[in-house]
Amino acid sequence: MAEEAGGSGFNIHPMEQFEVHSLFGGHTVHWYTLTNATLWMALTVLAASALMVLGSRGRSLVPTRGQSMAEATYGFVHKMVTDVAGKEGAKYFPYVMTLFLFILFSNVLALIPGSFAATSHIAVTAILALAVFISVTVIGFMKHGSHFLNLFWVSSAPTVALRIVLAVIEVISYFVRPLSHSVRLAGNMMAGHAVLKVFAGFAGALGVAAFIPILAITAMYGLELMVAVIQAYVFAILTCVYLNDALHPGH
Amino acid sequence: MAKEPFDERLKRLEDRIAAAKATREDPPAKGHGEYTQGSLAWRMVTELVAGMALGLGIGYAIDWAAGTRPIFLVVFALLGFAAGVRTMLRTAAEVREGRGEAALARRPDGAAPRQADRALRDPDDPDEE
Repeated sequence: MAEEAGGSGFNIHPMEQFEVHSLFGGHTVHWYTLTNATLWMALTVLAASALMVLGSRGRSLVPTRGQSMAEATYGFVHKMVTDVAGKEGAKYFPYVMTLFLFILFSNVLALIPGSFAATSHIAVTAILALAVFISVTVIGFMKHGSHFLNLFWVSSAPTVALRIVLAVIEVISYFVRPLSHSVRLAGNMMAGHAVLKVFAGFAGALGVAAFIPILAITAMYGLELMVAVIQAYVFAILTCVYLNDALHPGH
Repeated sequence: MAKEPFDERLKRLEDRIAAAKATREDPPAKGHGEYTQGSLAWRMVTELVAGMALGLGIGYAIDWAAGTRPIFLVVFALLGFAAGVRTMLRTAAEVREGRGEAALARRPDGAAPRQADRALRDPDDPDEE
């Protein structure tokens, strides 16, 4: 894109990479259309399954490289869940593990040049965050019944009027969490990829001096790799924190 | 007599292992922590803005349904701001106690490597602390 601009000035389209388009022709995207987003999410699932299923298939006592990667990931997430949400939280480990692997692989696959970053779309992350939000709320009500609503009722406030105002604030802040949860993941991914594209555009426009933006891209790429892993970790650990709030709502 | 040099050699080896561990563990943890602190700061900003936006949205929707344009918009903007501050303060408490995401930011001076050191040491040896 920007590379073919040559000397004709800046021709940078940093947001073009986020466009969803149909894989097999056609311009309208229906809900059943196979798009590049579909393709890369399917690849994410395949890669995650490959690591876990193929990696652990050998079941050798002395693990192979693949098996030890799979075991390290498993152990890491399991420790995170039990550390944050306690022993009762371990029951929900498969869900957190699935989320972590999906986001991790989606973020890392998005770093392949020419690929599509599914997690940079707020539609994807909002669904993930909403699923967490709904399941955590349902778990809270199932475990504690109507006592779960005590989370919103500040009984230490002096008057009833004040308690009602505080309850409204608490309810809004409860809904803030999935919003910020999804905005952060999508924002981080989108910002990083857009910046990479802008630097790539500079490289196309600068001619001989292009080695400066290319060096910058190399550094950014390393940072993006760290962001990809940390954002997956953050999403998973926030899920654990919310789960902990639902399991132990007394604070 | 023959036991003494062996102990000494063992101790020297332990010291070398500890030194090697120290050089290997410190540098990556440092950069990590700095990034995570920035990420925590961004989280607080997002929560503040998200609270405000959510309040504005709710207020606008109620006004749209009830036909009372400015009243609920103003009230819920304030409530939303308060909710954003509330969420942010909860995150701040998380940082203070080093729970959740903040546990990553504290790793450089955290307890994990020190515990590993202790496991390597000989509890009967008075020279080691």
